[in-house]
Amino acid sequence: MSFARWLALSALLALPATARGQDARLTERLDAATASQVQQAVDSAKGAGLPSEPLVQKALEGATLGASDDRIVAAVQSLHGQLRRARQALGGDASDAELTAAAGALRAGLEPSALRRLQSLRPDQPLVVPIAVLTDLVAEGVPPAEATRSVLDLARDGRPDDEFVALRRQAQRRGAGGEPVGRPALRPAADPPVDQ
Amino acid sequence: MSMSAEHDDALDDEVLRQVVSELRRPVRLDPSLDRRALDQIRAEATLRMAPRPDRRWRAWLAGAAVAAGVGLAVVLPDQQRPAGAPASPVTVEQGEASSDARSVRLRLAAPASSRVAVVGDFNDWDPAATPLRPVGDGGTWIVELRLKPGRYHYTFLIDGRRWARDPSEPPAAESDFGAPVSVLTVS
Repeated sequence: MSFARWLALSALLALPATARGQDARLTERLDAATASQVQQAVDSAKGAGLPSEPLVQKALEGATLGASDDRIVAAVQSLHGQLRRARQALGGDASDAELTAAAGALRAGLEPSALRRLQSLRPDQPLVVPIAVLTDLVAEGVPPAEATRSVLDLARDGRPDDEFVALRRQAQRRGAGGEPVGRPALRPAADPPVDQ
Repeated sequence: MSMSAEHDDALDDEVLRQVVSELRRPVRLDPSLDRRALDQIRAEATLRMAPRPDRRWRAWLAGAAVAAGVGLAVVLPDQQRPAGAPASPVTVEQGEASSDARSVRLRLAAPASSRVAVVGDFNDWDPAATPLRPVGDGGTWIVELRLKPGRYHYTFLIDGRRWARDPSEPPAAESDFGAPVSVLTVS
């Protein structure tokens, strides 16, 4: 290699990650090879119009929790695929938050058709909370078909977000009390949704 | 000059031209970069982390590049780590004008613990970023966050060595890394 070429390559290597378009959070917390693989997924997501921040957060989660590099990359790539499927289900007008929530729902085993149905029932309202509640119900042990039916019932009735959250809290209380979770009966929302 | 030497020079010129062109290409930075850089500076000041050894190599190589007349037209905010910066715990979104963010209080019962922190999608999973504070004498720890609507994965770190998920929020349906994680939905 000539001196000029060596110098040019040295200059490239000297550039910090930020200047090369890499997310500094990745290069600070992951080894170079892992950061590069995660960055490829992030760039791919950006190029496809998918939210990329969830991919960064997934990688940082793995780093903080002490996961192996292979596991981090696999988790990020898996999430990338779920985001792509979420966009296929909800279409190009879905917000980043909706796509992120929908990716979690698909990961939990819910069908894309359930997401599409929900979207058709709430065409002019955000879908984040209903999708999140749907996912949470399944995580709490409600069978996916039952969870889907309960959430779609609320959406069909035009209920506000707080009532979806109340539905989930009822299921959570029933599960904690040892009752069969099943299809929770709806009661008016009383609890604030997030202030624990 | 032989044909081979001319060919090598032309190749070097082309490589250099492409490299310089790449170096001069404007870089579009994330609008939140400044905030994240400041958060990182505060967190690192808290952790009192030693500088990474590879930064010395980067500085040396950067010097070589400058000596060769190669201009670096990008400010490098992630390299600015003033020593002795005041250690201040970071609260997510604190100080930002954000009309759609809402207050979220996380609470954990962790008796006989000396410190509790929360890590999650809202603080880059940084154990130094969001400590909880003890209230009363019953081992309850709380923290207030400002979060925009969305879905956040998070977990608590107790005494710097034990993970504990929030029992008041649903568990994450997906567990990629084995640790207990909860999911919070902000509407």
